[in-house]
Formats: sequence, structure tokens, C-alpha cells
Amino acid sequence: MNVPTSDLCRELEARGVSRREFLGFCSAMAVMIGLPKSAAAAIADALENKPKPTLVWLEFQDCAGNTESFLRSSKPTAAEVVLDLLSIDYHETIMAAAGHRAEEALDSVVKNKQGQYIAVVEGSIPTGANGAYCTIGGKSALQIANEVCSNAAAVIAVGTCATFGGLPAASPNPTGALGVADAVPGIKTQINLSACPVNAENLTATVVYFLTYGRWPATDALNRPLFAYGKSIHDNCERRAHYDSGQYVEQWGDEAHRQGHCLYKMGCKGPVSFQNCPNVGWNDNTSWPIACGHGCIGCAEPDFWDKMTPFYAHLPGFPGFGKASNIDKVGFWGTVGVAAAFGTHTLIHLGKKLVGSGGEDKPADPTKGSEGGDA
Amino acid sequence: MTPPTTTAGGARPEVSYRAKDETGGLERVYVWDAVVRLTHWIIMLAILIQAVTGIYIGRPFFIPAGAEDQQFVMGTMKVVHSYTAIVFTLAVLVRVGWMFVGSYYARWHQFVPASARRRRDVWSMLKFYTFLSREPPLNVGHNPLAGLTYLLVFALYFTMIVTGLALYSVGAGVSYMKMWDFLLPILGGAQTARWIHHIAMWLLLGFFAHHIWSAILVSRSEGHGLIDSMFSGYKFLPRSWRKRDE
Repeated sequence: MNVPTSDLCRELEARGVSRREFLGFCSAMAVMIGLPKSAAAAIADALENKPKPTLVWLEFQDCAGNTESFLRSSKPTAAEVVLDLLSIDYHETIMAAAGHRAEEALDSVVKNKQGQYIAVVEGSIPTGANGAYCTIGGKSALQIANEVCSNAAAVIAVGTCATFGGLPAASPNPTGALGVADAVPGIKTQINLSACPVNAENLTATVVYFLTYGRWPATDALNRPLFAYGKSIHDNCERRAHYDSGQYVEQWGDEAHRQGHCLYKMGCKGPVSFQNCPNVGWNDNTSWPIACGHGCIGCAEPDFWDKMTPFYAHLPGFPGFGKASNIDKVGFWGTVGVAAAFGTHTLIHLGKKLVGSGGEDKPADPTKGSEGGDA
Repeated sequence: MTPPTTTAGGARPEVSYRAKDETGGLERVYVWDAVVRLTHWIIMLAILIQAVTGIYIGRPFFIPAGAEDQQFVMGTMKVVHSYTAIVFTLAVLVRVGWMFVGSYYARWHQFVPASARRRRDVWSMLKFYTFLSREPPLNVGHNPLAGLTYLLVFALYFTMIVTGLALYSVGAGVSYMKMWDFLLPILGGAQTARWIHHIAMWLLLGFFAHHIWSAILVSRSEGHGLIDSMFSGYKFLPRSWRKRDE
């Protein structure tokens, strides 16, 4: 058995995580971030020897699904490693302290470690009714977010609620919910990890990247790390071949569905959604929605609850015809209507001509070019 | 630039529609230049191809049997759709540019009712279509209502091009076409862009139905060879129209 060489290794050893498992974790992280496997050594070195950064986890308007997702990742659990990598000084769900003691812990981080700690935010921030929809320890979510996020070295928004407002911000948005970037303007470094909930692997990899290189990974226009959000679900989908060949599920449980054909016609939003689900999977890569035979609902995209619905149709409905209406049907009948209107117009035209000319339907006489007036 | 023959841009003919046509018979007038005719038919063909492939892409109505590695139906439809889109975009751009450098009847003033006479004729043409008047207004090129309609059609073309580029950028990966993804937030996200793309297609197809019917109707009513002119470039117009200009 290897002799633990650092505090981290000793702590992991005490939790039953062997060095082999730890190095396996480092290799997995290297691959996640898109580095060659040899980078695993650099990662292991950084994780073992760099000082632990302080992290506070704020939870606002959401279902705690992101915490659940994070804590339930499995062996050698990303959470176990990261919980040991980080000094988590405030997390309502997992901290031992309660009440005023808990709030003191948060206050002391903000005061004593100004500009040095990482703030993870879960849940949207309600701005309606002066922030009264979400208060913790007598302060509104907006106040807490302003104090904690504006003094942090970096803010990681986890989950679609914290990133874009998510479900609480869906129309009609009764609480005036906003994502972190909108609620607290002027955050210098913000990493968005959207999805509902956040994939624990992506959160872990982001933190590991920071610990290894001392900077944050490259991001897309929505501040989401490119290693996780650089490609659409569609482009990495295991059912993509069926899409290109034209083989689609047309009804739940039909032969094509049993054969694992493409879910495009069932309203899959994979083509317009960006995340690494097809590669990384969920629950330790046990499965992911499309592998289970259900289309992607685009949970990592802005306003997904408004824009990606109806989840089981390719396109949004037509205003005034109901949410489940099909614009292609409306458009088809509209086109048929135009054709019919002009057909009728012609019939009236011919009818009037028949009446007007005493039963003679004569085409225009090109030598005179004066038929128009007789219409 | 002055009209090559006859009235058109100038003053409305004083003579009544029927009386002036009686004098002098008809003559061949070159109205549509080659670029106008060529872009017209290229755009038409491109729209038809893109409508068929686009409807398939939006709602794959044909599902081939057999192994997935033996078919490429959706892939082929998308490739044809994209390449036709390039032809379509270039044809539209050429036609729009031609509005500023082309021959008299190809120019922008045939579309924008800038003069009082053309604005008046928009209403006259509407009256003709709604049976309120028996006499369609006289125009060598586009009648002003048609010109105005074509402006809307060009707006639809640009809607298609912009939403099409935005949708293409979603799956463009690392290609240079990714540069169009700045359009997505402006359009309200990919799903909304896709929705607009569909609506605009149906409006274009509705216009297509309207265009064919009204071309037949007006061609019959005027008797100037409107439909033939889009092939040959020549209309048969009353000789007296030119005399009035001289």
C-alpha cells in the first residue's frame, strides 16, 4: 500500500479512497477538461500541494437539486475529493452550524477573506416585492448575493436557476427572479454551469481546472466552460446516425422507439442545446435522457421553460392557437386559404365576365390590349 | 435616368384606359433585363427546392427502412437545403444590388411608392382587385401595389436568410459560419429563430400562390403579355403610350 504523501492523501485514505482511485479521478478530470491523459500528473500535484481555497455555497430560489446532484456523485466520489480539496465554510444543507452561528461563518468569510474565496450560487434571486420572496437570516437573497458575490474572487453559478433564472423566472415570473449575473451586475469573474440540475462532473472539473492552473477555463458567450458546453447535444448524440439517415421515432413505444432511433420528431431539443451529456452522462455515466429514450428538453439553455416548450413538439405553438398548436398546420392551411381565395376571385371574375359579355368568355384580345376594363 | 420608352415613371396618362389603347395597336417594349429575369427564376427555383427540403427537415415525412448506415435522407436534405440557400442568398443580394445599378424597370423606385402617382395607383390597384373598379392603373413595369408587395417579399427573403444563418450557426462548430451566432440572442434563441423561419416560409408559399394567380389575372386583363415578359423581357404595350412621352 502506498504511503500517503500529503494531507489530502491522508484525508482521502481515511475516507477509504485509495491513491489509485485518486489518480483515476485525476485522469478522468484531465479527459473531461480536454487535456491529454498525461496532464493527470499535473492535476494530482496541484490538488495535493496547493492550499485549499475557501468556498461558500449560497442557496436561493430553487429546489436544492444542484446540491443533491453534487453530493450524490459516486466513487471515488467527485464530491469526496472536492469536499476535501476545498474548505467549504458555508453550505446550508451540509454544514453543522445552524442559525446565527451559520450566518457568522458566512460573515467571517466575507470580512476576513475578501477577494480570496469562491462563491457558488444555486437558485435564482427574486427581486420582486423588494426581495421579500426569499430571505435568509433576515436578509433578502439580493442583499446576501450582493455582499457575498461582489467580494468573491470568482462566482460559480450552478444550475439554470442561478445562471439564467430558470424555472422561477419562467413566464410570468411572479417573483421577478433573475440569474446571478443580472441580479448582481459587475461580477468580474463568473462561471456559469447551467443545466437542471448541474452535472456534478462539470462542477468538479471546473474547480479542478482552477486549482491546477490558477485560472478559469475558456468559456462561450454565456460564460459556460467550453469543455462542457462547447458542442451541442445533437453533435455528440449516440442516436445521431439515425437522425442523418432519416429514421425517427413517431410514437412513444413504436418499433423505431424500441430500436433506439432518433427522437427529433418527438420534440428532442438536442440540436439547439449545448452540454456534454452524451459524453459524460449522469449518475457516474449510468445513463442520460436520450439514452433512456426521452428527448432532450434543453435544460441548460436560457429561458428553457419558455423557449423549449412544448417539450414533445419540434416547435413552439402559434399565438392565439394555443401552446400545442402547430405553426406548420396553421401555415399550410393559410397557404391553402390564399390559393382558395384567389381561385374564388378568378371564378367571380369569370362569372362577372360571363354575365357582362352575354355568355361569351373571351380571353383578352392582344391586338387591342384593352380587356382590363371589362373585368 | 429616364424610361427607355413610354410613360411609367412619368405622369399618369390623361387619356382613359380604353380610348388611348385603341389608337395605334401594340409594340414590343423591352421591360425586364436579363438580370431581373435570371434572378427571378433562380429565386423561384431555390424557394421551391428549399421549401420541399425544408418541410422535410422540419417534419421528416419519409422514413426509409433498413440499416442506418445505408441511408442518408435527412443528411442529403440538409445538404441540398444549405447549398440552395447559398444560391438563393447570392441571387437575392444580386437582385437587391441591381435595384440601384440595373435598368430603369429594375430599380428601387419600382418597389417603393415614392411618387404621389404611384401611391395613388396602389389604391387604384387595390380597387381593381376588390371589384370596386374596372380599370387597373397603367404601368409599364411593376404596378405600384405589386412593387410594394415585392418589398415585403424581399423583407421575407432577408428574414429567411438571417434566421437561416442563425440556425446554421447553432451546429456550425468551429467553422467560420459560427460568426453568425451573434444573431441568436437578437432573434430570441434558436427555437424562436426556427419558428420565424417556418412562418416566413409559409408566408412565402402563400405569396407564391397569390403571385401565380394574380399574374394570370393581370396578364389576361391587361393583355400586355405579362407572364411571357418574364421569359422574353418584352411586353406588348400600346403604341400610344410612347407617343405621349415624346
